Parts: sequence; C-alpha cells; structure tokens
Amino acid sequence: MLLVLWVIATILFLIFRLMPGNPLVAYIDPTFTTEQQQALMHEFGLDLPLWQQYAIFLRASATGDMGVSFTYRAPVWKLVWEALPNTLILTLGAVVIAFVTGTISGAFLAWKRGTAVESTGIPLALAVRAAPEFWVGMILLAIFSFSLRWFPSSGTASPGVVYASLWQQVTSLDFLHHLALPLVTLVLYLQGLPLLLMRSNMLDVMEEEFVVMARMKGLPEGRILLRHAARNALLPVATAFALVIGYSLGGNVVVENVFSWPGLGRLLVRAVAAKDYPLAQGAFLLIAAVAIAMNLLADIAYSWLDPRVSYAKR
Amino acid sequence: MALLTIEDLRVEYRTSRGVTRAVDGVNLEVHEGEVLGLVGESGCGKTTLGRAIIRVLPRNAGIAGGRILFDGTDLAALPEPEMARYRWREIAMVPQAAMDSLDPVYRLGDQFHEVLTITGRLARAAARARALELCDLVGLDRRRLAAYPHELSGGMRQRAAIALALALSPRLILADEPVTALDVVVQHHILRRLRQLRAELSLSVVLVTHDISVIAQTCDRMAVMYAGKIVEVGRTVDVFARPQHPYTMGLQNSFPNLLRPQEMLIPIEGAPPDLLTPPPGCRFAPRCPFAVDRCLVDSPALRELAPGRCAACHRAEEADVLRLHAREAQRWRVPVL
Amino acid sequence: MRNGSVQVLPRPRTPGFAAGRRAWESFRGVLQHDRFAVAGVCIYLVFILVAAAAPLIAPYDPQQTITKGDDLMANQPPGPSFLLGTTNVGRDIFSQLVYGARPALTVGFTAAFFVALIGTVVGIVAGYYGGWIDAVLMRLADVAFGIPFLPLVIVLVAFLGPSLWNIVLTMALLLWKDTARVVRAQVLSLRERGFVESARVLGASPLRLMLVHIAPNILPLALLYGSLAIGWAILTEAAVSFLGFGDSTRISWGFILQDAYISQALSNGQFNWFVPPGICIMLVVMAGYFISRGYEELLFPRLRRQ
Repeated sequence: MLLVLWVIATILFLIFRLMPGNPLVAYIDPTFTTEQQQALMHEFGLDLPLWQQYAIFLRASATGDMGVSFTYRAPVWKLVWEALPNTLILTLGAVVIAFVTGTISGAFLAWKRGTAVESTGIPLALAVRAAPEFWVGMILLAIFSFSLRWFPSSGTASPGVVYASLWQQVTSLDFLHHLALPLVTLVLYLQGLPLLLMRSNMLDVMEEEFVVMARMKGLPEGRILLRHAARNALLPVATAFALVIGYSLGGNVVVENVFSWPGLGRLLVRAVAAKDYPLAQGAFLLIAAVAIAMNLLADIAYSWLDPRVSYAKR
Repeated sequence: MALLTIEDLRVEYRTSRGVTRAVDGVNLEVHEGEVLGLVGESGCGKTTLGRAIIRVLPRNAGIAGGRILFDGTDLAALPEPEMARYRWREIAMVPQAAMDSLDPVYRLGDQFHEVLTITGRLARAAARARALELCDLVGLDRRRLAAYPHELSGGMRQRAAIALALALSPRLILADEPVTALDVVVQHHILRRLRQLRAELSLSVVLVTHDISVIAQTCDRMAVMYAGKIVEVGRTVDVFARPQHPYTMGLQNSFPNLLRPQEMLIPIEGAPPDLLTPPPGCRFAPRCPFAVDRCLVDSPALRELAPGRCAACHRAEEADVLRLHAREAQRWRVPVL
Repeated sequence: MRNGSVQVLPRPRTPGFAAGRRAWESFRGVLQHDRFAVAGVCIYLVFILVAAAAPLIAPYDPQQTITKGDDLMANQPPGPSFLLGTTNVGRDIFSQLVYGARPALTVGFTAAFFVALIGTVVGIVAGYYGGWIDAVLMRLADVAFGIPFLPLVIVLVAFLGPSLWNIVLTMALLLWKDTARVVRAQVLSLRERGFVESARVLGASPLRLMLVHIAPNILPLALLYGSLAIGWAILTEAAVSFLGFGDSTRISWGFILQDAYISQALSNGQFNWFVPPGICIMLVVMAGYFISRGYEELLFPRLRRQ
C-alpha cells in the first residue's frame, strides 16, 4: 500500500520537475526584478539540485507538508484538506448507492430472464454505461437545474449560508440539495458494472447444484433467490468493488467539474491548468490515498462476506 | 406393498437441436423398506429419473407422460403447492457431489436449521435437538455443525448430505451416486451405515449408481437402465447369478471379480445411442452380441419372466445359453452397426 | 466451480498463420449468432464511413465562423441550413460532429492497438519466463492498478502537451494491465502443453517459441481486450478534452461538449448543441461493448446457454 503511494509520489515529483516549461512562468510577474525572481525560486526551493529537491520533497510529504500553492498562496495541505470531505461524501456515497442499486437491478434482471424486461433492460444498462459521465451530468444540469429550476447548478451551498460544523453542513437540507444532481450523475455512471456483473453471476449461481438442492428441500423460491443465490452471486461483485472505486475517482473528477463541486477533482484540474505544481501534487496524492483506503475497505468487506477467503488467511 | 410405482414415465429435454427423451417409458416399483439399486452408464437417464420423482427438473425439461404413484397419489399430476408438501418430508434426495450441494457461505448447522425450521416447521429448540440427533445417526461429529462445507472432508460432507436428507424422516430416499466421489474405505462405511439406517428407520432407498459392486453390497433388488429404458429387474442375488439381459451380462464382464480366477475384463464396445434420434428397435441391439433381425425393428417390452424377475429382451428365454456365450471375449467384438 | 476460481480458457489452436484465419472465421461466426454484435459492427462501419468521407458529408468547415452578410450566424437553432444549429461563435454544429468522428476513431483504434500490443507482450514475457521477470512485471501491474486513471492522464497530458498522441500514449501506458494479466494466465497454461514442449525439445529458441507458437494462440484474447479498450479510450479522450486539456487543433466530440459547456449552452437550453456529441460517443462505445461481448461469448462460452 505504502509502496504504491511512494511510487506515485516519486512519479509525480519527476513529472513536475522534469516537464518542459519554467514552473514559475505562470506565477512570476514579469515586472518582478531578477533578484525578486531568484528570491522566489529560492523560496520554493527550485534552485537546488534535483536529488536534493527530491529528498526535501519526500521528507516534507511524509510529514504532510506539501508546500504552498502558487495560485492560492496558501498551504497546500489546508486546501486539499478542505476539499477532501466534499470528494469523500460524493464518491463514497455514489459508490455505495451505485452498488446497492446496481446489484438489486442486476438480480432483478436475472430473475426476469427471457422476458421483455430483460431485453430492454440490458441494452439500457449498456447505453448508460457507454455514455460519458460528464455528458449525462450536463443533461441533468440543463434539465433539472436550468430549465426546471428544481436543483441548484453548482457548489455545495447557497450563497451566504454558513455552517457551525462539518456534521451540520453535511446533514443540512441545502447541502443535500446541492449534492443531489452530482450524486445521481455519478451513481448512473457507476452502477452499470455491478448491475451487469450481478446479473451474470446470478444466472450462473442459479444453475449451481446447491440451488437445485434448495428447491428439492422444499424451500420457498424467494428465500432461495435471496439467501442462497444472491448471497453467493454477490461475492464476485464485491471483488469488483475495487475496480469501481478506480472508475469512481476518475468519474468524480469530471463530475466535480461539471457541477463546480469543490472537491479534490476540481482542485486538481484547476491546479494543473494553472501549472500550480504543489497544489496539483497535493490533490493528486490525496486522491491516490483515498483510492488506496477505499481498496483496503473493499478487501476487508470481501473477506467478511466470503468465509472461504478468511479461512485461507487463517 | 409398493411404496412407489412408476408407470410408463417419459421425461423430455428441449434442446436447441431438438427434443431428447432421457426417460422413455420406464416402469418400476419400489417396495416398502427395501433398497433398490438402479444401475446404468452415464447418460442413461437414471439421474433424470430421480429428479423427475421429486419433480425438480431443469427449466428445459418436463414430464411428458406416465404416472408416478407414491402411496396411491400421482406425483406427476400434482399441482406445485401440493407437490411441495411431499418434497423432503416424504421424499428426499442425497445428491451426487455433496460438496456442490451445500451452500458454501453458510455453516452446516445453519443449513440444518434452515431445512428443519422452514420446510419442517419445527421450533428452534426442537430443530437444534434434531440436528444433533441426525449427526449421531450418520456418524458425524457434532462439532462439525459449526463448520463451513469447505472445511469438511469428502466423507464428512457425504454424511452431512445423508443427515440432511433424513432430517424430516422421509419415507423414500433417492441416493444419486452417494459414494462415487469417495475412496473405497469410506465408501464401505457409508454404504454399511445406509443399510443400517434403512433397518432402523424403515426407509426405502433408491440407490442410483454406475458401479455394480455398490449394488451388490447394498441393494435388495436391482434394476438395470439403458438409454432411457429399464432392461432388467430382479432381486440382486438373482440378477447377479443369472442375468437375463445381454447388457447386464456385459456389465458383469466389465467389472473385476475377486472370487473368479484372474481374467481379462471384457468391455462392451461402442456407445449408447443418441437419444435425439433413438433407433427403432431395441436400443442395445447395435452393441449386442446376440442381436437377431427382429431386435433391430421391434423394441422389446419389459416382461415378467418369473415372479419378480423382468427383462426387456426378445431372447430372454434363451438366457441360460447366452450367459455361457457372454463369457467369451470375441463375442463382444461386435461390428457396431 | 464458479465464484472466484479460474475461468475456463479457450482451447488452444495449432501454431501458424492458420490461427489468424481461424480468428477471422470465428469472428464471422459471432456475427451470425449475435444480433447485438451485428448492430455493433454496423455502427462502427457507419462511423468509419462518416469519418473517412467527412469533407464530403459536412456542409461547412467545422472551424469556420459563418456569416451572412454582416451578421454572425451565432446560436442558430436547427434548421435547413444548419442541421444542428450553430455555436455561439457561428460554427456549424453538424459539421463539427461529422469531423469529430475522426479523432474519436483514431484515438480509439490506436490506443486499443497499443494497449493490446503492450499487454500481450508483457503477458507473454511474464508468463513465459516466470521467475523474477514475472514478479517484477506483475508488481508493476499492481502499482498501475493503484493509480487513479483519469487524474494521472490529466496530469500527464497537461505536462506532455495537449496533443492527441500524448493522450494515446498515456492510455497505452496505463491500460495494459488487464490484458497482460489474462494473457499471462493463458501463456502459463500453454507453456505446459505438448506442442510447446516438443518445439522446445527440438531446439526452438525462446523468441521463436513465443512468436510462432504462443502468440497466435493469444491473438483472440488480445483482440478481445483490444476491442474493449476502444470504448475506454474514446471516453477518456472525451473527458480529457472536456476538461480543457485536449487537442484544440482537432475538433473532437469532447471538445464540442467543452465548448458548449463554457459557452453557457446549458443555461441557454441549447440541447441541439450538447446532446448530439454525447449520443455519438455513446453509440460508438456501445458498439464496442456489443462486439466484445459477442466475441467474449465465443471465446468463453457459458455452458448455461440453451
């Protein structure tokens, strides 16, 4: 886990330092004198040899000091820390909801095998999966926000609203109102995979011997479907959780930009566009950290679901 | 007194290539308190027969005709809710591969609990007591109830499957290859236990297998099945001593006999017919060393040659002579038609 | 047994060029059975045609701002002269859409090709040599797995320069791991098969073994994962363009969407502007899914299908 993070950090460092273009070009006012420019370069440590910069970078990252943003002139960690909850809520929320709705729909489609419901449901699911997530977001925005005015069009809060604490903010109706459209967009984008996977697995599991046995034992069909078929079909879907997390963070970046949702994704894009290295680095690192943490959670959840896996670990 | 009487049962599979009659006009009786062996090679329809009796068939299969009389009631004609009352309570099945028949994500105890409380409608405490009782009955360590199926050995899983089948004290058990996946020592123990249980609980058992040595060891009566039809029925001792159908004679030749002097095993050449387009006459005729012209056109019916002894062969009366010829290896190198 | 066990791998074919021909025949077989796959191929053909004949189909130059006399034809609604209307600076949307097929298909096919190529090479090398080479390569794949894809693409493209080829390069660098994994598994099973052993005994060099004997059997798998990558590549390019890091010299569908978004097309309700490009993307990606699903069904047939 840490290895991955270290590799990512190193890659980032190399990218930002070795890429063409003077990093300070966007920041340094041409009216600054040479001494001032040099002072700035010194302040940002850009005049040191590369390997020294790397050592400093590693040490600083380990302690959480990710430098100062060129554009915002504030410590990077503060900026990313503020953006983190917004991203977490949106992404985690979307992944969980997508999995729940996806698996239920997938099981439903498997149950309705051979009917018209299935023949329309599958292409529909594929179509949604094939559509670019930001485009779906744009359509939702245009219809529900601009045309119908049911939902706000950007940000996390209406102007002038202030919250006493994070918890208050998160549970307030205004926040949820703002969260609705980006969340729906991300959910639509993510639920395709669990849906198709669950359906496929259900169809396989329903042919398995123990399901046939369950019928012979005289157990009611509903119970068989839920407690035996679905429970077993769920296992591979749970392993896909990690995969979906990967997609979600990418999708998250785009959705945040469409809805101007102030999360890490939007921060990253702004930072990259402005060539604000420290900020871009910090945002990226944190996104990677979130990905790794969510993967870990997925692993734990899976070993709880499948007794064979934890047994093997014992 | 026959507990189960099967009359002219036909079971069809609908495949993309056409309709296959896996069970084609089977007549069979199972008496109270007996172990009936049903022997035949893979694909002869014996598993389908078991499935049809308990009426849990795949989506593309169905009973196309005939009657399954259990205690006088035709199970084949029963509407589903009523059939459900027979399942597991009157008729239960011990499946072939027990490891696949147990849900891998639930503990053994939970699976017992489920069948006892839901199908058996027992109260919790009664279910718990019964589960323990069942373990003792089949010789399964009680502590195994806390384990998951993959934590048990093959023998233990088979015992568990038998215990589950006995859970609601059914009158008939359909055991489909119950010991095929086990080593010989364990096989012996389980088969012996099965016979004991039959006596203790006055069960009837239909033991389906392709291994005639299992039949010899465990069954009172036996039936031989080939290509969807029953070709011979009788008391095990009789059928072994004096087989009346050439297929049975051939089967005997293919299994080693510890008592006879060392001799070559004689296989039956060829393969069973494709049931999509079965041959018009006797289905065994293409492989039979004693086939005559009549056999290729006229399908022989299962007829009673002596009380309790039936065979489906036009030349059954000559069985004594044919039996001697059947011992000769070169007879069996039949040009397969 | 299902649930986490190894999937049944396709039966290997004998080495040689015959394998290539067989792959084509099996592809045709898919088309005969799977209506969706046929639809997918048709969609691809239509778009390829459109892309190739773009100058003939598009009524205007996509970059050209159109004026009628002194008036800029901005924000025109769909009509006979502008099938899908115009943008806020007077460009014909329909023409943009038609020309947009080109970068989409280019990126799609080249990225898919490279992903399949790199993945196959890595998979074969890892599977064939095993040992520490295998360990290193698979570790690399694991690391690649941990990195969030789109953010890295953004970062790399922004700093390598916004050109179409950089997008392709980045995707190829990151997407090969799935292909590599599956190819490696197949190689591992092939390595022990008779014909590879006998070739080795006869003195074939490792390179020859890999190229002549193993590679043709990997071809179907490579094609499958390559076709999956097409859709992925197109979506990624669209997202990158939408975020503003795309190649502004080429009008891609993602670029049209970005243009629309920035120009307040959403609040102006100009559905004619931003809905069609998304539909095009959706159709092409869906076509890719249909084809790869049909092909996958062929390679890994599910026994349950009656």
